[in-house]
Amino acid sequence: MLSEVVTKTLHRALRIGTCAALAGAIATAAAADGDRSYQALRDWIAQAPDADLETGRTYSIADRAALEAYVPPTVWGYYFFDDMAMEVTPTAHYPTPPDWKTDGSGAHTLDERGILRNFNGGGTPFPQVAPDDPQAAVKLIWNMLWRPGEHDFDMPMMTWLRSENGKLDRELEYMSTNATYALGDRCLVPGYEEVKSKRIMEFRSPRDMAGAKDMQIVYVDHDREDSGWLYMPAQRKPRRTLASERTSELMGMDMIREDMNGFNGKIHENDWTYLGRRKVLATVNVRDNPEMGGPHLWVPNHARWEVRDAHVVMIEPKAANHPYSHRILFLDPDSHWTMWMLAFDRKDGQLLRMAQHFMKYSESYRDEQPQQAPYVNQDFTKNLGHHVFLHLGENDINAKKPHATITHCFVKKRMFSEARAQQFYSLRNMISGRR
Amino acid sequence: MQCLRAIGPCAGAVLLALTSLPAAQAIVTLTDEIELEGFVNLQNVVREPRFESAELVMQRNTAQIEGKYYFLKDSTAFGRFHTGRLEEATLTIVGRGVYDSIYDIRDSYRDAFDADRHHPGEAELKLREAFIDFLLPPFTLRLGRQQVVWGETDNFRALDVINPLDLRWHWSWESWEDIRIPLWMARGVYDIGKLGPFDESFIEGVYIPWDVQQNEISTDPRRPWALHGAGLRERANTVIAGGQVLDLDLRVRDGSPSRRFENGQGGMRFKAIWGDVEFSLNYFYGLSVDTRARYQAARSGIFGNTFRAEYVTENPRTHLVGFTANYSEEKYTQAVFRMETVFTTGVPVAIDDAAPRIADPDGDQFDEARRTVLMLAVDRPTWIRWLNDQRTFFLSTQIFWRHYLDWNTYYRGIPAVEQAVFNGQVLPDRYVSTNTDRIDQNEFVMTFSASTSYGAAGLMQPRFVLAYDPRSTGAYNQIGFDYLLSKHIQLKLYQNLFWRVNGDSIGPWQLGDLWGHSSGNSRHETVFSLIYQF
Repeated sequence: MLSEVVTKTLHRALRIGTCAALAGAIATAAAADGDRSYQALRDWIAQAPDADLETGRTYSIADRAALEAYVPPTVWGYYFFDDMAMEVTPTAHYPTPPDWKTDGSGAHTLDERGILRNFNGGGTPFPQVAPDDPQAAVKLIWNMLWRPGEHDFDMPMMTWLRSENGKLDRELEYMSTNATYALGDRCLVPGYEEVKSKRIMEFRSPRDMAGAKDMQIVYVDHDREDSGWLYMPAQRKPRRTLASERTSELMGMDMIREDMNGFNGKIHENDWTYLGRRKVLATVNVRDNPEMGGPHLWVPNHARWEVRDAHVVMIEPKAANHPYSHRILFLDPDSHWTMWMLAFDRKDGQLLRMAQHFMKYSESYRDEQPQQAPYVNQDFTKNLGHHVFLHLGENDINAKKPHATITHCFVKKRMFSEARAQQFYSLRNMISGRR
Repeated sequence: MQCLRAIGPCAGAVLLALTSLPAAQAIVTLTDEIELEGFVNLQNVVREPRFESAELVMQRNTAQIEGKYYFLKDSTAFGRFHTGRLEEATLTIVGRGVYDSIYDIRDSYRDAFDADRHHPGEAELKLREAFIDFLLPPFTLRLGRQQVVWGETDNFRALDVINPLDLRWHWSWESWEDIRIPLWMARGVYDIGKLGPFDESFIEGVYIPWDVQQNEISTDPRRPWALHGAGLRERANTVIAGGQVLDLDLRVRDGSPSRRFENGQGGMRFKAIWGDVEFSLNYFYGLSVDTRARYQAARSGIFGNTFRAEYVTENPRTHLVGFTANYSEEKYTQAVFRMETVFTTGVPVAIDDAAPRIADPDGDQFDEARRTVLMLAVDRPTWIRWLNDQRTFFLSTQIFWRHYLDWNTYYRGIPAVEQAVFNGQVLPDRYVSTNTDRIDQNEFVMTFSASTSYGAAGLMQPRFVLAYDPRSTGAYNQIGFDYLLSKHIQLKLYQNLFWRVNGDSIGPWQLGDLWGHSSGNSRHETVFSLIYQF
C-alpha cells in the first residue's frame, strides 16, 4: 500500500515536473521569439532605448540584448538567429531633391475627414508636424503618400514565395513602370491634371502568368478610387478591375492591397493616432538587394542597417470585418518611406502580417551599385542626381500561415516625356500584350 | 508525320528530362534580345457516359514554343541602325505541335479509320502566330498572323468574331486562346488620349486582306467531339421519299470564300472613357465564320434507287455594329458591370426542307438573317470567409440574349441522324437525316463562375463554372482544380458535366447533354493535364 502511494506520488511529481519543464521551455521560446502581441509592441514603443548602438560594427546573435531595444519585439523570432549579421552604420541625413518643396507652402488643407485637398505634388505637404497636432498621424501619412521618389522608374522585380524552412513555393518575375503625373506646378501630360500617377506592371514568368499586365491610375482626388485594367493573355483583352476591395491577399502573396508601401488604403476608412518618435533599426540605405537569412530565409541578413528616429503612426480600421485591429507604421523622418509595417489580427491581437522595406539612396549609386535583375541589365548611373530613396525590395510575412513573400526590386529611375507617357500609360497599351 | 508520331511516346520522357534540369529557367533568355517560353501539355480526357462506364477518348500531347525577338529598341535596329521616330519593334513567333496518342493506345480508334489511312486530329504542326509589333508613337502596328479579340463577353460570341474557332477536337471547352484560328492581318492603333469629354481614347483598325477562314467543326461521328445533333452517331445514308426507300448520295461542295483580296475583311473601333464609363464603338465588315449549306435543287433529284442531294456551303458577307461599356462601381456594390450589344447582318441559317415558299422563296433551305445580341455581366471579388478567410472569390455572371430580327418558324438548327423506318419496320443499317431543331427567335444563356485560391502561396486554384440555357434547360458545369506544383509544373484536373432539367431541345448553345438522349453517349468527362512550362 505504501509503495503504491509512493509510486503514485512519484508519478505525479514527474508529471508536474515534466509539465513545468515544458511550460518553462515554451516560455523561454516565446521570450526568444518575442511577444507578438499588439500590446507588447505598444509597450516597446513607449520605452526608449537605454543605450546607443555602436556604429560601424556588425552585430551578431551574441549582441541580441542590445539589438532588442531597436528591433520591435513582434519580429524578434524572425530577425534573431544563429548566423545573423547586422552591420550598423551611422545615422545619415538624406537630402530631398533640390527642387522638392519642403516649406509646406501652398493652398492645401485637410478637410474634416482628414483628406488632403488642393495639393498637386512637387513637395512634402506637411514638412513640419507638431507632435501634439491632433492630425499629426494623418499628416505624416500624407507625407508618405506624396513622398519624393515614389514614382518615375523602370523596376524589374523578382518575388519568392516561401514556406517555413525556406521551401520555395513560387517565383515570379515582373516589371513595374511608373510615372508621376502630378508634379506640383505642372502635370506631366497636360490635360490629365486629375491624375496623380500611372503604373503598368507586366509579368514575365512563370509562363502561366507571363504577359499578364495591369494598368493602374491613381487620382489626385483621394475620394476617387483608382482605375484599373488587367490584360490576361489567355483572354487577349483587358478587363476592368475593382479597386475598392483592398483586404484580399494578392495572388498568393503574403500581403493585401492595402499593405502596399505600408498603407495603400483610404484615409477616411481608418482612425489615426500619432504615437510619437521611436528609434528603430531600418534598412534605409542598403548596399545591395539584401541576401535573405534566418531559418526560413524570410529576413535580410548581412545587410546594412541604420538607427532611424521614426515617426510611429497607428492605424485602426473602422470596418468591423477588416482583418486588422491595428496597423503600426514606422516612417522615415527624412524620406517619409515606410520602414516597418506591423499589422495585428482583429481576432486575437497577435501579429498577422508584417513588412520591412529595403531602400537605397540614389546618390549612393555613385560608390556602390546593387545587383542587376537576373533577366535585364540596366544603367544604374541614371539613378544619380535624383536625391531620392529607391525601393530595393521588401519582405512580407504572414505570421499566422506562416509564410513569407520576399521581393527584390532593381530600380532604375526614368523620367517620362509627355509624349512617351501619353502613349505608354494608355488604355491602348492594354489591348494587346506579350501574346 | 512520323516525326510527329514520335512526339507522343516521347513526350513523357521529354517532360521528365526537362523537369530534372537543376537550373531550368522560368523563361529562356538566349541573348538580351531573344526570349523563349512555352509549355508541354499532356492532356488526357476520359469520357463517362451517364457515369455508367468510362473510356479514354483523348490523349493530346501539345508542345508550344513562343519566341520573342526585340530587334529594335530605343530607335535603334539591330543595335546599329537609327530608325528615327520608330522607337520599338518586336517579332513574336508562336508554334505548336500536337500529337494525340489515342490512336496508339486504343485499337478501336485506329481501326475505325483504317480505310481512310488518316487519323483526324492525330497530329498538327503549325505556326500559330507570327507577327511584328511596330511602335511609332502615337501609332502602333501589329502585322502578321494574330488573334484580335473585341468585346466584353466571356466565351460566347458577339463581337469576338474576327478569328474563327477550331471546335473539332474539344468543342469550345478549351481556353479560346488555344482554339482561335489566327489570321494574317494588320492591326493598327492610333492613340488619341484626351478628346473632348473622353479620356484614354484611341482608334483601332483591323484589315484582313485575304486570309478567310471559318469555324472548324467535325461532323464525323467517329470523332469524340463531332457535332452530329441529338441523334445517332451515324451518317445518314437513306432517304424515304415518294413511298420509296432510296440511297442517299449527299454531295456538299465547298463554296466557302477563297483566299483572295476580293474577300478582304476589315473593321474599326473607337474606345474611350467617358466619366468613369469605358466604352467602345465597333464596326466590322467580314465574312461569317459560321458555315451553312445552300440546297441546290437543280442538281438534286432521284436517279434510279438513289436520291442525290447537293449542297454548297456558304459564309455570307456580314456587317457587324457593336457597342460595349463597363463601369466599376466601387461604393455600393463593389462590382464591375459590363455590357455588350451587337447588330449583325448576314447570319447564315438553315430552313426546314418542308418550309412553304413564303418562308423559303428560293427553295434552297438557306437564309441570311439579321440578329442582335445583348450581354449584361457583373464581376465581383467577394468574401466568403467560411470557405476562404485569406482571399476573395472572383464571381462573374453574365446574361446573353440573342434575337433574330428576320426569324420565321422554319429556321432550323442542327440536323440529327435517326434510324430509318419504313411502313413501321426498322430498316437495319439505314439512317435518315432529320431536322426538328427549331431555332427560337429569342435565345438566352446565363453563366456563372467562381474561382479562388488556397494554400499558403495560393497554389491550389479551384473554380466552378455553370452555363444554363433557360429555354432548352440544357446546362454545362465545370468543376476544376489547378495545382501549381512548381514554377515549371502545373496539374489540372477538371470535370465537365452536361445535363438538362427536362425536355430534349438541343438549344442553340450546345450546352446540355444533347448527344446523349438517343444513344446513351453522354459526354460527361474528366480531364487531367500535366503541364511543363518554361
